[in-house]
Amino acid sequence: MRSYAVVAISLTCLLAGCQRATEKGPVVLHLANWGGANDDIEFGRKVDALYHQFETENPGIKLEIESVPDQYVQKMILGFVANAAPDVLSLDAASAAVFINNGVLQDLEPFVQKDQQFQKSDFWPNVLGIDSRKDRLYAIPGDFTPLVCYYNKACFDRAHVPYPTGHWTYQQFLETAKRLTLRDASGKITQYGFNFTNWMPGWIVWLWNNGGDVLTQDGDHADGAINSPANIQTIAFLRDMVQKEKVSPDLSQTAATGVDPFGNGEAAMEISGHWMIPSYKSAPKLKLDQIGVTELPTNLTKPKTVMYEVGFAIPKNAPHPEESWKLVKYLTSHLYQQSYQQTGIAVCGRKDVATERAKDAREQKFLDIVPTARPPWGASVVGYDFVEQEGKKMMERVLGGADPKASLDEMAHRIDSYFKVR
Amino acid sequence: MKRGKIGYFFIAPATLHLAIFAIFPMFFSIYLSFFKWNLMTSVRSFNGLANYVYAFQDPLFWNAMWNSTKYALLSVPLGMILGLLVAILVNQKLRGITIFRTLFYIPAISSGVAISILWIYIYMPETGLINSVLGMLHINNKTDFLKNENLAMYALVFMSMWVGLGPKMVLFLAGLIGIPASLYEAAELDGASKFRSFWNVTLPMLVPTTFFVLVTSTIGAMQVFTPVYIMTQGGPNEKTDVVGYHIYVEAWSKFLIGIASAKSFLLLVVIVLVSIAQFKILKNQMEGYSAS
Repeated sequence: MRSYAVVAISLTCLLAGCQRATEKGPVVLHLANWGGANDDIEFGRKVDALYHQFETENPGIKLEIESVPDQYVQKMILGFVANAAPDVLSLDAASAAVFINNGVLQDLEPFVQKDQQFQKSDFWPNVLGIDSRKDRLYAIPGDFTPLVCYYNKACFDRAHVPYPTGHWTYQQFLETAKRLTLRDASGKITQYGFNFTNWMPGWIVWLWNNGGDVLTQDGDHADGAINSPANIQTIAFLRDMVQKEKVSPDLSQTAATGVDPFGNGEAAMEISGHWMIPSYKSAPKLKLDQIGVTELPTNLTKPKTVMYEVGFAIPKNAPHPEESWKLVKYLTSHLYQQSYQQTGIAVCGRKDVATERAKDAREQKFLDIVPTARPPWGASVVGYDFVEQEGKKMMERVLGGADPKASLDEMAHRIDSYFKVR
Repeated sequence: MKRGKIGYFFIAPATLHLAIFAIFPMFFSIYLSFFKWNLMTSVRSFNGLANYVYAFQDPLFWNAMWNSTKYALLSVPLGMILGLLVAILVNQKLRGITIFRTLFYIPAISSGVAISILWIYIYMPETGLINSVLGMLHINNKTDFLKNENLAMYALVFMSMWVGLGPKMVLFLAGLIGIPASLYEAAELDGASKFRSFWNVTLPMLVPTTFFVLVTSTIGAMQVFTPVYIMTQGGPNEKTDVVGYHIYVEAWSKFLIGIASAKSFLLLVVIVLVSIAQFKILKNQMEGYSAS
């Protein structure tokens, strides 16, 4: 008998634990982002204070931040499957299509239309366009960055090479990188001209600027696009920069030291986004005022670049859409963005904040480049993450000695096989 | 009868756990293997056997199957030999031997991710532990073990021996402790040497333990995922793309849930067939030997 009582009590406790609180209280909004533990405690406090300010301005709403530093897209998808999606989610342009094309996000256009305080004209039109589909808008931009070419003036001075002014071809870029690559008396390289990293979202711009692309214009096929003659030429060019000309450190060598050669003052140029600024700022061997920004090299008449953006979206089945919209509006407001962008992580999606912050030539250069930037394929193609993984593998094969054409053909075949059953 | 019924209550939590987190997902996965689904759509369209046809025709799936088989064929026997040797060593009556038993078991209770990251540092070119030692000995220290097509798989196998040592050692140790001392005494009376008593007494008496370790290790090796996910992502050039990781990519990069489920089911079939084969082969050996 006693045993039954023990079991009954245990089960009651178990069930009580599962019971959902039903009392009426404040509306709790869950905001998802991919931030992890913040290195910059001071900045973390500032953001917390901004969240708190939202709660103060909106009594009856409480904020809960869901930080997902790894596997963000997967976690969000599972949230949607389990009907436990956050009320507002940060939407990365590089994977936005997964959510937009599958119809799980609210069209924010009706909110924009009836909200007098919100003006679409406050934002860069091509940034807003990333998360738009015809007359529907699925996210409001928080911030973004085009990929640019960073250069370290100290490295240029050391090699007595004039600073780049843009408008350069691949050949001119290579010649500059060669002149910037310095050796000591024993022939050991003491400074590299360029730092190449095998990260497809970063090197896709090399394909674009030589007239190539990853997918056909409709985004449905890779064959005929990724394995085009222009791309074969580009991939061979990148391989040669690393292996033949040795103007960029060997990738395994970089992995071995675990140090970013550009950040460590050992490489003169690097192609990356605005997100590098905070780490350049804290790098002991760099001086931020020595870092310049210029356009990407191109074999076309005008350079092209990619634009990575973070927007704020509301799930279609969000239980409190009005409150969620208030939060989105707050996160993209001048007040919030002005404080948030002080880290220098990106360019603000709002033109007013971005312009206020563009006080020097470097920041202004980012703004100059914005009109030439196009969205990443991941903003419109579902499963583009896989394409980027295949791109990395292809480059690994080429750097390992494989033929660029065969490697690109193989990549095209794998992507198209996937697209067929997608 | 009453005592029997109360027993059900006690096994209920474990059974429920198993039912919710293992049995139901397994059957649901088999069900999903007949559908086309990308997780995000509410509609799952019936796809017949198309997912299985795709899996059979996918050379990368068979490459992954072969990689898993290679991993199992290498890591299981090597790991078992090492586990047995260490079990024999820690079975000696020495002062502080329990400290050694604990030390050898530590990797087994550590996080798989943390261990994988640790081994990335061990395998790094130039600055990694192995290459640093090689450098001190003036031997080529530029080998990138995890990026080298010929070495990456062996690097994973070597690491698995270290990680899997603890549980194998404990099982073999239990087997060794369970062998009646009278058998060794009888062998000694018959004039058997140490090696002879190991060969004719220890090894045969360990057959049931060996069988258990073999089957569980093989299943574990065929399902290996964490070190591949953290250390190599299936590379270089798919040389470490084991089937567990391959299925993960199908599901979570490509969102091909139906195909990933079909491939999971095929993996299950392979594991069951291998286990049955191991049962059949070792059945005859098992008969007549038992430590109890």
